[in-house]
Amino acid sequence: MADFILNWLVVSPAFAVPFALAALGLIVAEKSGVLFLGAEGFMLVGAMTGAGALITMGGHPLLALLVAMLAAALVSLIFAFLVVVLRVDQIIAGLSMVFLCQGLTSLISTQQGWTNRPISGLDPIALWPLSELPILGRLLFHQDAVFYATIAIFVAFHWISNRSLLGLRLKAVGENPDAADAAGVSVALYRFGAVLCGAALIGLAGAYLSVGVAKIWVDGMAGGRGWIAIALVIFARWQPWRALAGAVLFGCIEALIPRIAAAGIQVPQYFMLMTPYVATLAVMIWAALLRSPRTGQPAALGTPFVREERR
Amino acid sequence: MAEPLAALDAAPPAPSRQSSRMTVEIRQTSPAGQRILIRGAGLLIGLAISVAILAWAGVGLGNLANEFIYAIFSDSRSVASVLVQMAPLLIAGLAACVAFRVRFWNIGIEGQMIFGSIAATLVAITDFGPPALRLVVMLMAAALGGMGWIFVPVALKLKLGISEVVSTLLLNYVALNFLLHLLYGSWQDPKSSFPHSEQYDAIERLSPIGWENVTLALPLALLLALILWWALNISRFGFFTRFVHANPKMAKAIGIPVLGVTCAAALLSGALAGVAGFAISAGIEYRMTQSFFFGYGFSGILIAFLARNNPIGVIVVAFFVAILFVAGQSLQVFYQIPGAIVQLIQAIVVISVAAAEFFIRHRLKWTK
Repeated sequence: MADFILNWLVVSPAFAVPFALAALGLIVAEKSGVLFLGAEGFMLVGAMTGAGALITMGGHPLLALLVAMLAAALVSLIFAFLVVVLRVDQIIAGLSMVFLCQGLTSLISTQQGWTNRPISGLDPIALWPLSELPILGRLLFHQDAVFYATIAIFVAFHWISNRSLLGLRLKAVGENPDAADAAGVSVALYRFGAVLCGAALIGLAGAYLSVGVAKIWVDGMAGGRGWIAIALVIFARWQPWRALAGAVLFGCIEALIPRIAAAGIQVPQYFMLMTPYVATLAVMIWAALLRSPRTGQPAALGTPFVREERR
Repeated sequence: MAEPLAALDAAPPAPSRQSSRMTVEIRQTSPAGQRILIRGAGLLIGLAISVAILAWAGVGLGNLANEFIYAIFSDSRSVASVLVQMAPLLIAGLAACVAFRVRFWNIGIEGQMIFGSIAATLVAITDFGPPALRLVVMLMAAALGGMGWIFVPVALKLKLGISEVVSTLLLNYVALNFLLHLLYGSWQDPKSSFPHSEQYDAIERLSPIGWENVTLALPLALLLALILWWALNISRFGFFTRFVHANPKMAKAIGIPVLGVTCAAALLSGALAGVAGFAISAGIEYRMTQSFFFGYGFSGILIAFLARNNPIGVIVVAFFVAILFVAGQSLQVFYQIPGAIVQLIQAIVVISVAAAEFFIRHRLKWTK
């Protein structure tokens, strides 16, 4: 039993990282007041370009991750242009982006022959001497570069959003764009920047799925993780540390599914595969039942900023 | 006396008026002709981008004209295959349409289709009810199945304020896994042991109407469109939905049963989606397969969006989307273009039309 739990916990971080990065990307974008439903699509873009970059260019996997982030940010320019400049309904634009990315990644990867091609992935880096610690060493200090980067990104975001002018202005744009505009903050610029950075993080989350975990690209491999991340952000009330806790929880749940099958416990396979989605719903219901007076949702979330209608 | 003048001279110069800039004005109204023109332009731009992408993927302009126009309208069999494809698309479009009329974002059409088909197949497998009424019972079961599956998100939204966008979507994955559980388990075809249900008996199929392979699914879909047109445009319920669509708070204030109207429209949407699943299983494939629902969720949303939530418009748009589906299948066979191209083209069209609507609501002006 102890072995089972240890083996389970050791693989959990690899499952938690995509949720954590995607949720943080969503928080970055939505802090600016842009409702970002396209996460699933941008994860696919990241996953496909990550695998594609590794197949075509070779080189270090970290380079492929960087390419994937750039690609997701590039595609998110379309979304940002639609919702910030053209003021398209953010639900329609977000949903369309998901299906655009699904179609685009499937088409490009088939045309280029990237689908189902095994790739060399990321190797774990042992942080000696911490990696020699019992249990904790294997759990926290024998992971790949993205795992360490995720923690660094969370710390950096925490500092930026609470301690820097940039972070405060971002919050202002999401909470009260009228006031921010009157104070001389460019709402459009901040929203563009937030969407781009958010999409890049979500792209990294997707690329980690293909380059870091699966070491292969298959169509639609994000498998709803983008939607789960959206639910996580609502549950986390747009607070990064709560989102990280939620991501760890979901990472553990997802890591448990193959473990249970491998341990020979008889549970209907497809009911096991439902658990992440059912757990997500359960978490959303729980968060709603708490009925906290502060949902943490940026006040201007989902409403386009129209200076001509400013009060 | 000279001193104030000197102060004026020292003042910074007035801003230069030479540089012109573009300003955005909000239009109060937009004439109908202009609206049609702008949306049409958006549609054309979207289609042009799609053609360019297809050309990149290796399908030239001549081949495209062949696949989309000649191959489809040259013989009655191809026209019939478009009409066959149109029936479930039309019903899925209606499902999206009625939900969007009360601003309920039903993204779970595919999940509701799955449960509609599961319920209908359950009736077919167990031979429930008198044979003469079997199809009617299957239809009712499908509607109830779809309605049951949307009930959870409706309750969560209305009672707890949980976003239906996320909950309906997550339930799609749950429904898909339940479908696979059945098809790889107890409902596997005993004859071929393939992962699909056993074939429906003859009385469990929507019968052909006597022209090519078009079945009763199409008249059923058209009838539903007419009923929904009446419900949304003539009936009191439809009148209420307009208020809820325009402004739920105001609607509540003037005494419209917002909760009831929203609930009824959302449940109706689920029921229609369930019937769309039934239309595929009983009208096209004559069994429940493992991917019969694929792509209908987004297509339903697209159809309702382009038809501006008007059931009669849904009929027209569903016909064109059906052409896209059929042409997509032949592109897959003859040019090895993945089926996802259908989804891609639909997304591009939605995006370009939605983007064009900017010019309906705004006016650009050069200010000197």
